[in-house]
Amino acid sequence: MSLLARRVRGFRLVDLVALSVLMLLILGVYLAKTVAGRERADIASAERQIQGEKARIRLLQAEVTHLEEPARIEKLSETYLGMAPVSIKHEASPDLLGEIALHPAAPSPKADLPVAIAAAPSAAPSVGAVR
Amino acid sequence: MSLGQQAFGGSPLYRWMLRRMWGVEHAFERTRASGRAEDDTRIRIFVVLAFFAMGFIALGVGATRAALFSDAGKGDAGAAATGMARADLVDRNGELLAVDLLHYGLYVDPREIWDLSETRRALGAALPEVPAERLERALRANRRTFLAGGLTPDVRSRINDLGLPGVSFEPESKRVYPLNTTAAHLIGFTDSGGEGLAGAELAFNEDVRSGAASAAAVPLSIDLRIQAALEDELGKAAAAFQPKGAVGIVTNVHTGEVLGMASWPTYDPNRPGESSPDARLDRAASSVFEMGSVFKAFTMAIGLDAGVATPQSTFDARTPLQIGYRTIHDYHATHEVLTLVEVFQHSSNIGTARLAVAIGPERLQRYFDALGLTRPAKVELLESARPLTPKIWNEDAIASTSFGHGIDVSPLALARAYGALLNGGYLLPLTIHRLEPGARVTGPRVISDKTSLEVLQLMRANVTGGSGKSANVVGLNVGGKTGTGEKYDPAIRGYSHTRQVSSFAAAFPTDGPPSAPRYFVFILLDEPHADKTGADPTGGIVAAPAVGKVIERIAPFLGVRRRAELVAFDPGPPTPDDAGEER
Repeated sequence: MSLLARRVRGFRLVDLVALSVLMLLILGVYLAKTVAGRERADIASAERQIQGEKARIRLLQAEVTHLEEPARIEKLSETYLGMAPVSIKHEASPDLLGEIALHPAAPSPKADLPVAIAAAPSAAPSVGAVR
Repeated sequence: MSLGQQAFGGSPLYRWMLRRMWGVEHAFERTRASGRAEDDTRIRIFVVLAFFAMGFIALGVGATRAALFSDAGKGDAGAAATGMARADLVDRNGELLAVDLLHYGLYVDPREIWDLSETRRALGAALPEVPAERLERALRANRRTFLAGGLTPDVRSRINDLGLPGVSFEPESKRVYPLNTTAAHLIGFTDSGGEGLAGAELAFNEDVRSGAASAAAVPLSIDLRIQAALEDELGKAAAAFQPKGAVGIVTNVHTGEVLGMASWPTYDPNRPGESSPDARLDRAASSVFEMGSVFKAFTMAIGLDAGVATPQSTFDARTPLQIGYRTIHDYHATHEVLTLVEVFQHSSNIGTARLAVAIGPERLQRYFDALGLTRPAKVELLESARPLTPKIWNEDAIASTSFGHGIDVSPLALARAYGALLNGGYLLPLTIHRLEPGARVTGPRVISDKTSLEVLQLMRANVTGGSGKSANVVGLNVGGKTGTGEKYDPAIRGYSHTRQVSSFAAAFPTDGPPSAPRYFVFILLDEPHADKTGADPTGGIVAAPAVGKVIERIAPFLGVRRRAELVAFDPGPPTPDDAGEER
């Protein structure tokens, strides 16, 4: 007698095996769906939290940007702290310190620098001048 | 040949299936032939069961797979772009300029309201900006109705805490400009449907819309620190001289990037509908002005580049110049023969007109075309205005345009053309989009390297010994040119002596080779009035000091350090004579 044709308490073994597999499948799918559903709910909840936090972060970023609006900061610092923009006179590179010490009012031109035409050229008419 | 054979073409799979089917049929026939009918039934039941089992197993496997390995719920589904979503706009350093924020729309369903008067009172108190008639209409409607939009989470929470039945909320996206009026004209604004209507919002509408899905911010070229300094100084100048309008521009002459752009008066892009059209007008891009003597830099450059003159060439400015039907005077006549440098320093109209005549109409027009002064400024802003140019380029026209009369251009067009004078001679497009560091921008050559250097020196000379003294900043080698253009008055059908456009166009630093880092700063005041000193509000009086202050404030942000100056500055106070522009 083949294994498939064997009977257990009147039921064929193959039927019992098939029924067992069926029950296992139903149980498996049920458990899988249940667990997955719970996890999906958790994931969705976490996603909602993330989205909420992201929205809050963006809102806070916009709030910070609004509060740090340059015109507002400047007005507050001028009004309450008596501050003003830093003058360029208060900035210098190390190689310029010597010249600043010699000419505190304004750095003078270096001797070896080329002469620019800006130094009011002579008024002698040149050839081809337009008159 | 059967249809099946035609369809499958006698493939191995088809032949295998055919054999299996015939095998089952033959099994039935064999059992029937052998007189074992019960086997026939069993085999049929077995076959049916086998098919069902296979189907069930396939369904089970599919269900298990879908349950365990589904992609549903994964990823940033909540961030998916909605129809009206827009990407953030940021400045070149990533500072937020425009952002979509979650807001809420409030809906009222009268069918669910228990106490109508209580709901009316509570909503009226919570939303005072909603007109009473609108609230009443929503409460009397026979269906769910939208009542108010753009509610912040705080307001939503406050109303929600009232626990009013029939009042519900729906999330919606709203474009917010957290810096309010800062860079308002450059950033622009959108409509309630998320479509850009002005400024960068309009210029980059497609990029901003498509960037929303990937949450990629669109970086603009402006530097918020530079923008703030520019707006602050422009605002102070406007407060002092009470102009009709004002414009400020800062550009990088080597890339064409607009680092700052301001228009006064300004408006709040969060509430554009509450501002006047005059406040919303972007004067930097969409207004054209007859700017006066700032145009002399172009005439000088053209004369030098065309070989018509040298810095030492002389021009007779002793007597007014008669061209056609008009006589050209100098505002502060020197009655001398002036060199080209002195013509520039004293802003002599006579000298400049003589140079223009020597250049000739055709050549001057060709250069003006090449400098982009006869076309709208090439920039992404759709507001870029078309200039008003002479219909006929005759001697009269070129004499006028040589010192900025008879030609109206937008401040952006002027900035672009000045860029070509200052960067070694290349006309580059302006851009309000941030370029990558080291990006090379190309454009047609308009003037030579040598001419560019000479123009830089001329501009420096105008600050050290000309009309632009008050723009000087010690150690930054500022160069520039003042401009005061009288405005045409249709009422008198002539130029007004009381209404003018005063401006100052500057470059810094002017030293170094043409390729050295260099920036252009421009401030213009439209119809300024005399301040308490009573000085004539010319470009040298109203715009040059403001430009100097802007340069002093923004130089550290641009990495321009104080250095020894090629030409020592004569720190004499500005006088009305310094503002020697045409009248």
